[in-house]
Amino acid sequence: MTDYSIVAEGLTYWYGDLVAVDHISFHVAEGEILGFLGPNGAGKTTTWRMLTGQLKPKAGRATVLGRDIAEDSQKVQGEIGVCFEYTNLYEQMSASENLRLFARLFGIRGFDDDALLRRVGLEGWGKHRVEEFSKGMKQRLMVARSLVNRPKILFLDEPTAGLDPVSAESIRTVILEERERGASIFLTTHDMMEADKLSDRVAFINQGKIVALDTPHNLKQTYGKRALKAEVAAGGGLEYLEIPLDAADTPDAVHDLFSQKKVITIHSEEATLEDIFIKITGRGLEE
Amino acid sequence: MNWRSIGAIISKDFTLFFRNRFFVVITVLALVMFAVIYFVMPSSVDETLEIGLYAPVVPPAMELIQGAEEGLEIVEVESEEALKKGVTEGAYVAGMVFPPDIMEKLALNQPPEITVYFASDMPDEIREVVSAIIAEMAYLETGQTLNIALHPKLLGRDMAGSQIPQRDRVRSLFAVFVLMTETFGLAGLISEEVERRTAWALLVTPMTVKDLFTAKAVLGTILAFSQALLLLVVVGGMNAQPLIIAIALLLGAVLVTGVAFLMASLGKDFLSVTAWGVPALVVLSIPAVAIMIPGPVSDWIKAIPSYYLTDTIYQVSNFGAGWSDVWRNLLILAGFNAVIISAGIAVLRRKFQ
Repeated sequence: MTDYSIVAEGLTYWYGDLVAVDHISFHVAEGEILGFLGPNGAGKTTTWRMLTGQLKPKAGRATVLGRDIAEDSQKVQGEIGVCFEYTNLYEQMSASENLRLFARLFGIRGFDDDALLRRVGLEGWGKHRVEEFSKGMKQRLMVARSLVNRPKILFLDEPTAGLDPVSAESIRTVILEERERGASIFLTTHDMMEADKLSDRVAFINQGKIVALDTPHNLKQTYGKRALKAEVAAGGGLEYLEIPLDAADTPDAVHDLFSQKKVITIHSEEATLEDIFIKITGRGLEE
Repeated sequence: MNWRSIGAIISKDFTLFFRNRFFVVITVLALVMFAVIYFVMPSSVDETLEIGLYAPVVPPAMELIQGAEEGLEIVEVESEEALKKGVTEGAYVAGMVFPPDIMEKLALNQPPEITVYFASDMPDEIREVVSAIIAEMAYLETGQTLNIALHPKLLGRDMAGSQIPQRDRVRSLFAVFVLMTETFGLAGLISEEVERRTAWALLVTPMTVKDLFTAKAVLGTILAFSQALLLLVVVGGMNAQPLIIAIALLLGAVLVTGVAFLMASLGKDFLSVTAWGVPALVVLSIPAVAIMIPGPVSDWIKAIPSYYLTDTIYQVSNFGAGWSDVWRNLLILAGFNAVIISAGIAVLRRKFQ
């Protein structure tokens, strides 16, 4: 039987008349990365805040590490790591001081801040004040802070948003290492490329409801368009052709392409998660 | 209550407080400035005599006396009530009331009834001087020893022999100022915690909102109390009954911590917190200013919580008041603290939700 780190059942939250999260149910297994995708205002952050004990659900329940988060948030918070979308570090303190503060809050003895800084590529920056850091360095420190207590679940809210490629890759590496260690990861993002790269499964949330939940591969199989896209020479210019892969005449069409045309480039056309999201909801992730 | 977390936050806030140049500058500046002002102020009292007079009939000798006596000023008032008010509020060191028949009685060699009002903190020597002036007036008027009966009456506490220099009167005011200075620092730290959203990072650890508020309250109280205590030690405010003064300052520190919570809940950033803090500082300073002025304090001032702090410091450090004199003040101050801290936490809690 699979052990679940997070189980949400009919989780609901509303602000006045606005239902932000509408009876959603899902689970996250141990050592699994769940990508939680949706546009701004879809209910991602509200869900994330309920699961981390910052908000009490108005209806339904969520069990995190076997405990009801609404009833036992303090104990749960001792075993999870949370990385916020926005930078909320103590800027007038050094990187090491920031980490050691949280180690004290978690009651960790013999905490090795240098080792953690090394993991996120901030070796040698421990004594520097955070106000001297670039955005990418701050975000890496935020990730390091969420790892202080070796969490069983890591909640990450847009961890690579707006970062340079080096910082973003560094954070992705840490996320994958944490999964290898056995931690479950709840990754909230509207970056479908990142979700695709990292997630074992992705959930699409739109207007407070989960509209799709599966592995990226299965979603692409289910909702994607299978086709070949070719770029061929035509009268001194270029012509673009699209050949469906599942049609009865696909073999003939492919044969004709190579025998009768000068092919410049050819590749399969896979749907992106964004294409699928648009197909399901009729709106883009960036809206 | 998670004391490990509370200790971590207090330690963190101390670090941040002393890394903020503005907080450090105003803290040091306030301490140094108040101490300097205290020692620059005269340690003795100006003994120029300003005497009020109510006399339906003014003896001709009065003008001669005005000119003859250096440092003596006689101010005529319109009624006996106005005279008593002036003496009570410290406008005159004494007030004389001449009866309407003074001239007739002097002419008949009968003693006229002259009432003399003294301010409560009038030393014996001044009373004697005033008596001598009245005798001189009579001599100038009649050319013979005055044959009158004087009836001195004291208004308020008898301060004979214990005149208080102005700088000792302002000790309470300085204590309130130093305590209030720290509210700006604490309120700034809290509002920054909300503004930069670091509070949310703390609250997804095993720390609760209650732990966070406790840490802030302890920090604010320690900062305010230690600095006010230091100032009073320097300016000699702890010489009498140090335990009572220390307890009063501790309660005062709790009071301003509650005020800091209210300021932090009203302000969105340090500037707006400061803007809210200034009116609070003015209101809390009123009792201390009132105490600097001799005479009884108006009743409405007793509705301001800091009255019970300033009055305690004033009574204990200047008159050697003991527990039996000030326990009521301390109790009322503790009551105000409970109300203000509760109100501060209630409004501030909304910001953390």
